[in-house]
Amino acid sequence: MVPIVNISNLDKYFGRLHVLKNISLDVAPREVVCIIGRSGSGKSTLLRCINFLEEPSAGVIEVDGVKVEGGEKGREHRQLVHDIRLKTGMVFQEFNLFPHMSVLDNVIEGPVTVKGMDRTKARELGEMNLDRVGMLFKKDEYPNRLSGGQKQRVAIARALTMEPRVMLFDEPTSALDPELIGEVLNVMKKVAQEGMTMLVVTHEMGFAREVADRVLVMADGEIIEDRTPTDLFASPKDPRTQALIDRYRSGGG
Amino acid sequence: MNIFAKKQPDTPKSQAELIYDAFQRKERQFRGNVALSWIFLLLFLVFLFSGQELTIGGITFSTIKIDRTFIGENMVFIAGGLAETIKISLLSITLATILALLAALGRLSTVPPIYALSTFYVSLIRGTPLYLQIFFFFLALPQLGIVLPGLWAGVIALGLNYGAYMSEIFRAGLSSVGKGQREAAMAIGMTPGQTMLRIVLPQALRFAIPPTGNEFIAMTKDSALVAATGFVHELMWRATKVGRAQFHNLEALIMAAIFYWVMTLLLTAIQSRVENRLSKGDR
Ligand SMILES: Nc1ncnc2c1ncn2[C@@H]1O[C@H](COP(=O)(O)OP(=O)(O)OP(=O)(O)O)[C@@H](O)[C@H]1O
Ligand SMILES: [Mg+2]
Repeated sequence: MVPIVNISNLDKYFGRLHVLKNISLDVAPREVVCIIGRSGSGKSTLLRCINFLEEPSAGVIEVDGVKVEGGEKGREHRQLVHDIRLKTGMVFQEFNLFPHMSVLDNVIEGPVTVKGMDRTKARELGEMNLDRVGMLFKKDEYPNRLSGGQKQRVAIARALTMEPRVMLFDEPTSALDPELIGEVLNVMKKVAQEGMTMLVVTHEMGFAREVADRVLVMADGEIIEDRTPTDLFASPKDPRTQALIDRYRSGGG
Repeated sequence: MNIFAKKQPDTPKSQAELIYDAFQRKERQFRGNVALSWIFLLLFLVFLFSGQELTIGGITFSTIKIDRTFIGENMVFIAGGLAETIKISLLSITLATILALLAALGRLSTVPPIYALSTFYVSLIRGTPLYLQIFFFFLALPQLGIVLPGLWAGVIALGLNYGAYMSEIFRAGLSSVGKGQREAAMAIGMTPGQTMLRIVLPQALRFAIPPTGNEFIAMTKDSALVAATGFVHELMWRATKVGRAQFHNLEALIMAAIFYWVMTLLLTAIQSRVENRLSKGDR
């Protein structure tokens, strides 16, 4: 099958720090890929290179036919980056909802401002997506009146309303109180079941085991394992993977 | 059962509630006493200028005598300066806000000339006295053949000056908007311009409204400096004009002072209401 995400020979430096080392990765449509790894291993940077929140130092990113080379400049490059951002939706650890807009306005800001969609139509679409994450009842509320779990569900709806082909999640439940994690994971599971292609950086091993088709393990800027969750958890190849799984088991971060 | 039912209506307050109540009572009492003292001080000030004579224990004191007829006759003339004062302040704060915003954005620019222009402007204005700047626009420019109408020279001088100081407020406002906000906007495909206009500026401006209010209040008073040039007939100019002419500077200045003070009190009251609204709002 033609991959929907294709990363080839991706390198990322922060100054002299080599954060991503020649990474290549294919993701098939409808696939759910979880990424685990120790702090500082480059998980966020990998995700952020896919939608160019970080400019790759070298390599090629292709999402749904939009192919962008890292390290380029100029108008044409900016246009391609814009196109690739429309293909991807991102959910952040810290939600990053717009505090000066109501929930519904948060969700339709993208369609209206970026796509120039008619407001009435955007509202319909926004309400549909808020309903998808179970947040329609708070559509007129402001973000500061929501719980963390509710904020993150709205953030997911905001990304979905742009109708992306791929969703990127960067530790979407790490800023949440433990009792609120479940509601967000359930929404993510639902989105996965509806056929969305997803890359999820997470510490939630239960979610990885249950929802992921593949689990990547990152260490020092490289992907050291790329297997099905069943395989991975049953027989880790790399001792670093074993250590990581043990740490998650004992509840460490 | 019966005894129980009797006790039920007023449940005894918890320790915490009692402490909180006592604290609130103290707070109210303090504010009440401060208000009373204010009234006393105000009355004392009025008494000090009441021109009365009184004898205490054989010694005769006399308080300051002010000429009421002068006040009566010139009230309308001096009050007529209020509109001019308010006008110059409103125009100046508008100009200052625009300049401050541009200067703050310039400080964020990665283009050297723009960054330089912003810092140069702020440095030049902050490095020279406001009084000098005002005179520059009234007196120095005409030498170059540029004669601005009095009001506009004042507005430009005050606006330039306050703009430089207020650029700090807007800079703080802009940096109060976290990086995550920009990233979220970029992730949904917004351009840098859209991100600035739709996401960053609205939040930065909301942050900047209360301190801008402070600057406006300060400006209404600094607008008095413009009187020195003699071309703008605002409160201070009118007070000094009639005061000097009839040698009643005391009365004239007291009148102007009262106008400024009342204006400041009103503006402060308005400002704290706006601030309350903002803090209650949708942050
Ligand atoms: N903007 C940046 N400037 C400089 N160094 C950075 C920047 N962002 C990340 N790094 C560094 O790059 C490395 C990888 O960071 P990254 O955030 O991708 O790790 P991570 O796997 O997501 O870690 P965590 O689990 O803590 O989120 C780290 O050493 C980090 O300090
Ligand atoms: Mg991270």
